[in-house]
Amino acid sequence: MSIMGPSTDLHTVKVKVFCAAGLILMIFLAAASLFTGRYPLSFGALLAGDEMQRRVFFTLRVSRTAAGLVGGFALGTAGFVYQTVFSNPLASPDVIGVSSGASAGAAVGILFFSGAFAVTAWAFVGALAAVGLALALSFLDRTGRHGTIVLAGIAVHSLAQTALMCLKLTADPERELASIEYWIMGSLNGISGYSVGGNLILCLVCAAFLFLLHRQILLLSGDEGEARMLGVPVGRMRLLVLLVSTLAVACIISMSGLISFVGLLAPHGARMLTGKSSAGTMLLGGILGAILLMGADILARSLWTAELPVSIFTSLLGAPFLIYLIIRGRRGP
Amino acid sequence: MSFFSAEDLSAGYGSKRVLNKVSFQMEPGWVLGVLGENGSGKTTLMKAICGILPHQGRCVLAKETLEELTPRKLARLCGYIPQRSGISIDLSVLDVALMGFNPWLGLLQRPTEEMRQKALWGIRQAGLAEREEENYQHLSEGQKQLCILARTLSAPASLLLLDEPESALDFRHRYKAMELLKAWVKEEQRGVIASLHDPSLALNYCDRLLVLREGRAAAFLNPREDPLEEMEKALSAVYGTISLHQCRDRKGKVCLVMLKEPQ
Repeated sequence: MSIMGPSTDLHTVKVKVFCAAGLILMIFLAAASLFTGRYPLSFGALLAGDEMQRRVFFTLRVSRTAAGLVGGFALGTAGFVYQTVFSNPLASPDVIGVSSGASAGAAVGILFFSGAFAVTAWAFVGALAAVGLALALSFLDRTGRHGTIVLAGIAVHSLAQTALMCLKLTADPERELASIEYWIMGSLNGISGYSVGGNLILCLVCAAFLFLLHRQILLLSGDEGEARMLGVPVGRMRLLVLLVSTLAVACIISMSGLISFVGLLAPHGARMLTGKSSAGTMLLGGILGAILLMGADILARSLWTAELPVSIFTSLLGAPFLIYLIIRGRRGP
Repeated sequence: MSFFSAEDLSAGYGSKRVLNKVSFQMEPGWVLGVLGENGSGKTTLMKAICGILPHQGRCVLAKETLEELTPRKLARLCGYIPQRSGISIDLSVLDVALMGFNPWLGLLQRPTEEMRQKALWGIRQAGLAEREEENYQHLSEGQKQLCILARTLSAPASLLLLDEPESALDFRHRYKAMELLKAWVKEEQRGVIASLHDPSLALNYCDRLLVLREGRAAAFLNPREDPLEEMEKALSAVYGTISLHQCRDRKGKVCLVMLKEPQ
């Protein structure tokens, strides 16, 4: 007992320490994000009740920070779920076409409607339509194998890409085409208090739901038959879990455009740090996702006079981190 | 009324039929060994009983028709150990063992302390004591098999299906695993169906042997009572010419040994 006691504790302590450190960094970045941007804010002026300062703070900065925080968290969590359920380190919600669906939807919004809200709404519709179509196609295979949904996703992905291409052809190259391209590059720029609430709440609900189901998610990583004989209704549970995590991602990318690398990198980072897949690692994956997205967003709006696409920085920050983890892993414990 | 019965089980992959109208019955407390050459339908039989493979025919366990049960209810009655577990993520041995309790847990419930203790007991039984916090992925194939065995033994199912449980185990652990199964099956009303490659394990530890040949039940043997000539004949049909011999171990227990004879 004396040998197993401490080792048990050590492991949970390790996960807790990483999560706590991550949380502190996340809160620090959130605070920094609130006070970073073109319009300089000061704590004193805010407290004194400066009207302009308050408006910028509450409609722009708070919602943008919340989107970075919740969005990054959801992307990290959803990435963890996809990688676990497919037992594939490269799996992400993109596999079932959510990104390309959102892009095509956004293009419809930009071409035929106007206003940021219409673009977000159409991107959301596009993302859900892609996911719905992929799931419906996967239902055609009654055996419910792992691979079917991936194949269906690839088909939907290429369909959505084709639709996007056709839409781009009809776009006015000066304005509309540029808007579409810029949307696809991804940015938290357009997010303001008027549009953000519902999406973020839905996103949080989805993430909470995934945490409640974490045991089932880990069980799904095994063989189909094995999971079934452990009492998991495999087909339905896998659909449910994938649908919820994709919904969370759709909520975010329909507001921000595509954000690369967060969903892929954050769960890997969490697993490499803790050496384990568990609810704690899933939480750490979410926290790392939030850190990465907020960090990238702070850089995207402070390095240049114009806003830069956030994906540039998620990759710039993420790639060295991943390389560091690989090198650390090779050195051994 | 028998404890478990399989009636006219047929199954296959695509249009290829691998299992052809196999029927048998089991009494409680039996370890049933399933023998047959590669491709004779051993794994398919296991998967059909579990309901993992679509099949014709039906299985009845303790008056419940398995085909009619939800996955959760089925999992409470039957435990299943595949040839290789598909767990491919980093989990501790204890977490893997605790998976076995999932059918008894609500969707959002966590395993109780009692389940934890049962799982630790199972891990000790399987000879993995003090490894419960180790990463499952870092175990050898044999140890993984033992860990999955621990998972299955600690959960209170009444029928265990094991697909070549001995394949990755060394000589000593093969016997250890069979001893564990024998002890497990004697408690309460339980049964074990294990497909085996090693005939000496099957002959000395199983209460009955089901011999499969080209997807059909070729023989149903009782290795303790059936005459040697009859068993030789049945097993020769699967393994080529063989001979069976009785000998005694140092405690005087009668054991059966199978030798391969020249054609």
